[in-house]
Amino acid sequence: MQTVNLEKENYKQLLKRFIEKNDEETLYKADLFSKESIRQNVTPDEIIHVYIQALEDLYPDLPETFRRSLDFLLETMISYGVAYKEFQEMREEQLEIKSELALAAKMQEKLLNTRVPEIKGLDIGAISIPAKQMNGDYYHFIEDHRGNLGVAIADVIGKGFPAALCMSMVKYTMDSFPESRMLPKRILQLLNRVVEKNVDPGMFVTMFYGLYNPDSHDFYYASAGHEPGLFYHGQHGVFTEIEAKGLVLGVERDVTYKQYKRRIELGDMIVLLTDGVTECRRGERFLERDEVIEVMKQYTHLPAQQMVERVFRYFEELQDFQLRDDFTLIVIRREN
Amino acid sequence: MNLTVNVEKNEKEYVLALSGEIDVYTAPRLKEKLLPLTKEKGTLVKINLEKVGYMDSTGLGVFISALKSTREHGSHLVLTNLPEKVFRLFEITGLNEIIDIEEKVRGGL
Amino acid sequence: MNSQSCVNIEKEWDIVSARQLGRNLARKLGFGTVDQARIATAISELARNIYLYAGSGEIYFDIVEDHPKKGIRIRAIDQGQGIEDIGKVMKDGYSTSGGLGAGLPGVKRLMDEFHISSVPGAGTEVEVVKWLR
Repeated sequence: MQTVNLEKENYKQLLKRFIEKNDEETLYKADLFSKESIRQNVTPDEIIHVYIQALEDLYPDLPETFRRSLDFLLETMISYGVAYKEFQEMREEQLEIKSELALAAKMQEKLLNTRVPEIKGLDIGAISIPAKQMNGDYYHFIEDHRGNLGVAIADVIGKGFPAALCMSMVKYTMDSFPESRMLPKRILQLLNRVVEKNVDPGMFVTMFYGLYNPDSHDFYYASAGHEPGLFYHGQHGVFTEIEAKGLVLGVERDVTYKQYKRRIELGDMIVLLTDGVTECRRGERFLERDEVIEVMKQYTHLPAQQMVERVFRYFEELQDFQLRDDFTLIVIRREN
Repeated sequence: MNLTVNVEKNEKEYVLALSGEIDVYTAPRLKEKLLPLTKEKGTLVKINLEKVGYMDSTGLGVFISALKSTREHGSHLVLTNLPEKVFRLFEITGLNEIIDIEEKVRGGL
Repeated sequence: MNSQSCVNIEKEWDIVSARQLGRNLARKLGFGTVDQARIATAISELARNIYLYAGSGEIYFDIVEDHPKKGIRIRAIDQGQGIEDIGKVMKDGYSTSGGLGAGLPGVKRLMDEFHISSVPGAGTEVEVVKWLR
């Protein structure tokens, strides 16, 4: 790579040569000159100034009318110089914000981190991918001292930073609950109080909470307005919607949640998801729920973790690898 | 896509006819128009959603803000003519139990 | 000699007079064409602010010497509404004004020194200096 001399003298020599020879090589050097100028933060009006000075040196007898026209050109470029500097400062600021955001995202990831537990007789898979840097979805597994598996999946309205902050609050609150077995309806009721007290009006969180007893294979669950999950009947190979009614968290002060119970048979699956899964857009059209089920069906033969990953890849591709919303999918399968 | 908000006023009643999509881009404008109306004591704010082709959770957020505001200021909020897909959102989130929904339209857009 | 000149800003036309006066003074002091143009652009911005937001005000010009440096000083004074949040105003430039103007940060970029004081409800004073190099 040639180094470019940004001296006025150099510019003058280039200009002189080009006027004499009218050659491509000098134009190439002019190209390099302009790139180097950008690299060294030279503003457009400064380049015009260098040009005017070079021209006056080379042609001391320029007609006064023409010379004056150059001042006019310069005048019209001054504001571009100011705008250019402004953009440079904004770019630096943007880089700073980006790195802060990356740091915050890392912290959030650590905070919301949950391990998929290994429980005899259950095959569990989970995936959660944010649309932007920060995730407004959340899922959490917990095992109590009796070996029950608690599973939470939640979605906060909106995306990005505000959603992520709200979700961190939910996570902290859940961490503060006692370890002993807590029923889904009770957990939602307590969480609702905390969210209602602490969020802006208009902000809300949806959550599905389930408790799986690996001895009896009973699954207890309650929903706070969350996107309905699916039960998969292994024997018949069909998906049905998990019906659970309940108000979203954060709207009313005192809410009691209805709790449901279902027995999970061998080969059955519990599928939990957020609306990032069902709101995938294909072109201008939104995916119907039936289509989502069709996609899941293609992968039911796979181990749970592979299944959620394949389903995610499928939807990611469908949206040209640009997620519109945070995407979370959990599969719990009863096996031998 | 865009959202148009048409406001009509009769006596102690506002009727808002919405048309288009309510999403993260259009919701702030809807909120700006809707919230002040709910701050007048004793008014009825009626929102016709018949021509809403799409709504996401940000839209629900606007209606929750409006509902909270009506409770605070003693006004009343009613939603009418909800397309089925829009109604389903209210149903899933349980909001149909606390927001006054007059009727839903079969099929919708 | 340290005589002070002043232009009253009331009409848009006064902006031109202020530019003219500032440019002539800058030229006499020995500023090159680029700096003359920058000084004129800064004056434009200050005068437009007075014209658009305060309604009327004055712009003062004089020569400052800080041995061995020499420069031009411009002071824009109005008795308008004043600025509530100077921090915010100092962030508004082309990108936030939709291209309407360089804003006060633009003025700061065009000049070497920049001072602002404002009393909400009472008025604003901006003082800028450009040194001769």
